[in-house]
Amino acid sequence: MRESISECERIAHAQGLAAGLGVALAGVDADAAPGLIAALPTTRVAPGASVIPHRMAQLEGISFVRPLAKAACSGEERTALAGRLGGVRLGMVRSLVERAVGHLSGRVVGGEPTIRKQLVLGTVADLVTETEAIRRLLTVAGTVSTAVADAHERLTVLGWEAAKLFGASGYLVDGPVRGVYVSRLVANCWVVTEAGGS
Amino acid sequence: MTGRDLDPALRELRDTCRQIARDLRSRALAVDADPDDVSRHLDAPSLTLLRTASTPKRFRQEDLPLRFAEYTDSCLARALANVELARGDAGILSANTGPSLAGLAVDALGDEAQRELFYRALADGRTWTFFAMTEPDRGSDATALTSRFEPDPGGGHRLTGTKRYVANAARGSIGVVFARTGPTALSIRAALVQCPVPGFSGHALDMIGLRGARFGEMRFDGVRVPEEMLLGRHLPTSQRGIWGAGRAFNVMRVQIAAQALGLAFAISDYVLEHRPRSPGAELISARLAAARELLYDVAVAVDRAPGDPRPPSIVKLHTTALAVELTRWAERALGAGSLLEHPLLEKWCRDVCAFEFMDGTGNILRLHIAPDTAPVREER
Repeated sequence: MRESISECERIAHAQGLAAGLGVALAGVDADAAPGLIAALPTTRVAPGASVIPHRMAQLEGISFVRPLAKAACSGEERTALAGRLGGVRLGMVRSLVERAVGHLSGRVVGGEPTIRKQLVLGTVADLVTETEAIRRLLTVAGTVSTAVADAHERLTVLGWEAAKLFGASGYLVDGPVRGVYVSRLVANCWVVTEAGGS
Repeated sequence: MTGRDLDPALRELRDTCRQIARDLRSRALAVDADPDDVSRHLDAPSLTLLRTASTPKRFRQEDLPLRFAEYTDSCLARALANVELARGDAGILSANTGPSLAGLAVDALGDEAQRELFYRALADGRTWTFFAMTEPDRGSDATALTSRFEPDPGGGHRLTGTKRYVANAARGSIGVVFARTGPTALSIRAALVQCPVPGFSGHALDMIGLRGARFGEMRFDGVRVPEEMLLGRHLPTSQRGIWGAGRAFNVMRVQIAAQALGLAFAISDYVLEHRPRSPGAELISARLAAARELLYDVAVAVDRAPGDPRPPSIVKLHTTALAVELTRWAERALGAGSLLEHPLLEKWCRDVCAFEFMDGTGNILRLHIAPDTAPVREER
């Protein structure tokens, strides 16, 4: 489990969301999705599949499909997949934070690089800390469904906090935030929440 | 839940806005999918009414229903209306034509002739306006802007610079542009600019949400600005430029906060409609009611003292964060696949993020909020 989560994080960080999702979904088909919609790398979508159009997902190489049937999938398998997806999202967020630091290092406010501002440094420190904490949560409790669901909710918060560092430029479709946003939608398709179930 | 008692006029305004919100909701997804095709919505009675209501009385082309009379009279009435309207959909509000933030700036800084020019230009109901302050590398640091008004040997000024993340950047026909005439903060001035004009180019940017606003980039390359188009000429030096526009920012921040809160209510309504006994619903309702109380208190405070940036900053910071949090609650409550199963919900997840950077990011707001509450060092 620990190795597969790390591998998913590494691939997503280096190659992006579609590549990371491809690794996380190894051996899992669309019909195993807990809800009515599955998220897949576009390269894995079967010809003739019912695809829900989504512009940003398309740009990330991700497709949302309506499976024609339901396959049996145990709770353990679902939790393990959600754990690997957590790794993917960690890789995406880590990449976003790195780009945010680069972005803010090149901007100047009041004669000082924005990255040196105390409010900004505090945010970056919190992001790094939370990334480490979530990674350990997935590592030690990747088989506990509530813990994995908690990790995903915190990853959504983490992605938003990192996105804010870009200001309005983080709101561009053709920007680094897109992948993190789409990764939230991907997780929404595969992760069972405690309250909502499937 | 107990809240403030609204007077009868405000209750009527609220109820009318709730009816209009239903129409706004019905158009929401179409505008998001194709924001360039918004013109076909502009003649809708709902958008026409909102356009008229946001125009000062003496420039209105048609009368307003009596119950709408309160709309422009106070920050409180506008905030109350914006909550209810955004509860239908905030995205289409940003797609409508009308004075918007530029109107607030013209009201604050314009002389009689400039107001006349601005509002007469909007009379056709087909004219979008722009408020061009933010620059590509300056973000929310308005005092650091580099666009400049330079003396034109032929009279007036020449405007040069680039603005970014401006609503209606490419399609706006008239608006307010900020630039500096010199190095100090007091030298930051605003001018009315009509487009198209030689030396101007604008294009829309592909944004994640609030797509109806058509945020974009504006480039000014020696655009001629006649002297009479410079705003604030009739005001004292200290009130002519960015500081004079401060009141407009404060009023606008409250309205953005109101829209964020309206969107949060919309999310809550939507979730409870589809899953009436969602866990946490009672707490969510309480927090929304409390945020609305805060909003109303701040709006009343702005009506009394419009120059104080702190209360509007507090309410915008809070309601934006609350609305973002509501998207996570909705996702949790509706379960796996819910964001793709419910396109409105997914759209709102994108829209809500825009409030963070509109009219001051969270960190800029924190800088407005903190100084007054910082502990005072005791003297020995």
